[in-house]
Amino acid sequence: MRAKGTKLAGVVLALLSVLLCLVFLWLLWTYVPRASVRWGLLAVGAGICCAAGLWIWYQRRQVTVFADDLCTTLDALMSGRQPEGYRPYEDSLTARVQGKLMQYYDIMNEGKVQSQRDKETIQGLVSDISHQVKTPIANMKLYTGILQNPLITEEKQAAFLKTMEEQVNKLDFLMQSLIKMSWLETGTFTLHVEEARLSDTIARAMNGVWAKAEEKGIQLTADCDSGITVKHDPRWTAEALGNILDNGVKYTPPGGRVSVSVQPWQFYTRIDISDTGIGIPENHYHDVFQRFYREEAAAAQEGVGLGLYLANGIVTRQKGYISVKSRVGEGTTFSVYLLS
Amino acid sequence: MDIVTVHNLKKYFGRGENQVKALDGIDLNIEKGKFTAIIGASGSGKTTLLNMIGGLDVPDSGEVTVDGVNLSGLKEKELAVFRRSKVGFVYQNFNLISTLTVRENILFPLNLAGSTPDPVFFREITELLRLSDRMDAYPGQLSGGGQQRAAIARALMVKPAIILADEPTGNLDTKSGQDVLGLLRMSVETYHQTLVMITHNLEIAQMADRVVRMEDGRICG
Repeated sequence: MRAKGTKLAGVVLALLSVLLCLVFLWLLWTYVPRASVRWGLLAVGAGICCAAGLWIWYQRRQVTVFADDLCTTLDALMSGRQPEGYRPYEDSLTARVQGKLMQYYDIMNEGKVQSQRDKETIQGLVSDISHQVKTPIANMKLYTGILQNPLITEEKQAAFLKTMEEQVNKLDFLMQSLIKMSWLETGTFTLHVEEARLSDTIARAMNGVWAKAEEKGIQLTADCDSGITVKHDPRWTAEALGNILDNGVKYTPPGGRVSVSVQPWQFYTRIDISDTGIGIPENHYHDVFQRFYREEAAAAQEGVGLGLYLANGIVTRQKGYISVKSRVGEGTTFSVYLLS
Repeated sequence: MDIVTVHNLKKYFGRGENQVKALDGIDLNIEKGKFTAIIGASGSGKTTLLNMIGGLDVPDSGEVTVDGVNLSGLKEKELAVFRRSKVGFVYQNFNLISTLTVRENILFPLNLAGSTPDPVFFREITELLRLSDRMDAYPGQLSGGGQQRAAIARALMVKPAIILADEPTGNLDTKSGQDVLGLLRMSVETYHQTLVMITHNLEIAQMADRVVRMEDGRICG
């Protein structure tokens, strides 16, 4: 239908130009008496027509070159190589469209790169998990072997069962953390972000560490105006804050202090969790958020090195961030920034 | 994948005894999509290095490759196109045009390049940076933090591959500095861009994926 229309338009245009030429000739021969002027005018007319023709040809050629360039670029991109003679920063139309195409290709390619990265993460995860699970399982195997011996005294039996229970607890804790981590890693859990009172979330987080703090004789305080509300997922944020608090209590010697304070800013609400614990050397600020990272000085404490990793993941998912400030031997402050 | 590779970059100012080695053989790779912080005392060559990466200054020797293109092979005109299409700059003193409104300021680079703005993207960015209700204000009517957010929106508007920020929080108090920086980091992450930032605030530097320390024109650790 469209092609037919174009054809018709072409025929009409051709007829019109023939008609115009005839009218021009008629006008010349009727109104211009001197032959030399007549021929002169005819030559000028013909010249103008030729120039117009050339101009049109040149424009068409430009369009063809432009289309060819684009096709070359697309062909190159389709086969995954850099286009030949690629001058991305030339101040020309081709370079501009080419640049946009490359940008589009990069963005589309991002997905592929991302899934490759995900694959690597999962591989790393599997090897990490098997490494973490190995020790407790080996221990349990050993103890069951010993317990199967009928000659063992009851006292010893009880002692081995107790150690075995510890190993089971460790495995249980590890499994729970791993499940949470896999949710975070694969993005399968959804955050229910809602405008909620921050003091409630902090109270929820503190509930989990009261007993432990009491046992160690650590003073636990929180200072949060009950009127402050922040858009966040209360359950998961409580989990994140709880992990940081747990960390604080764990690495603070008896008689120390762990405190929470809140300052609302223009765009972020800052939650500081300070302890008077062993501190983190400056060059390890970054590492504490890595999964399965354990500070050398912390080796004596139980734990698997997932708490802060999880906390960081949960906070970043809500478009917030965490920062650390610490002095070795004096204490650490973790600041959680939640988008208000 | 590296988006920026710097190889044996040298830049000396002055000659003879007064010669200052601003950059004295820098080798640096910056990974795509990551946040890199450059820290160091003033005069250690941080800004000179950033200007070289952004194509604002020419090295005495050495090479800078950005997104697969060697900058030394570009003509002056091509460098201008490179700067306005690939790089977003954020400065300490905002560099907004005081006689234009916030909206006009943000759209200014697009007008220069002669391209039409994408209205959906424009709305998205201004909402992300909490500027929607200040569109018709003049920069002077905004707080320092607000001006810096407008400058960030301007840098992001051309969808650059890299954002180069020179002490973006230098003129802000700690509080609004952290506020603005959180938003900057969030937008860079949202659009998978690479952020290179100069700072001498360690608290800010630790938000980065990688920290590069400079001393007397060299990289140390």
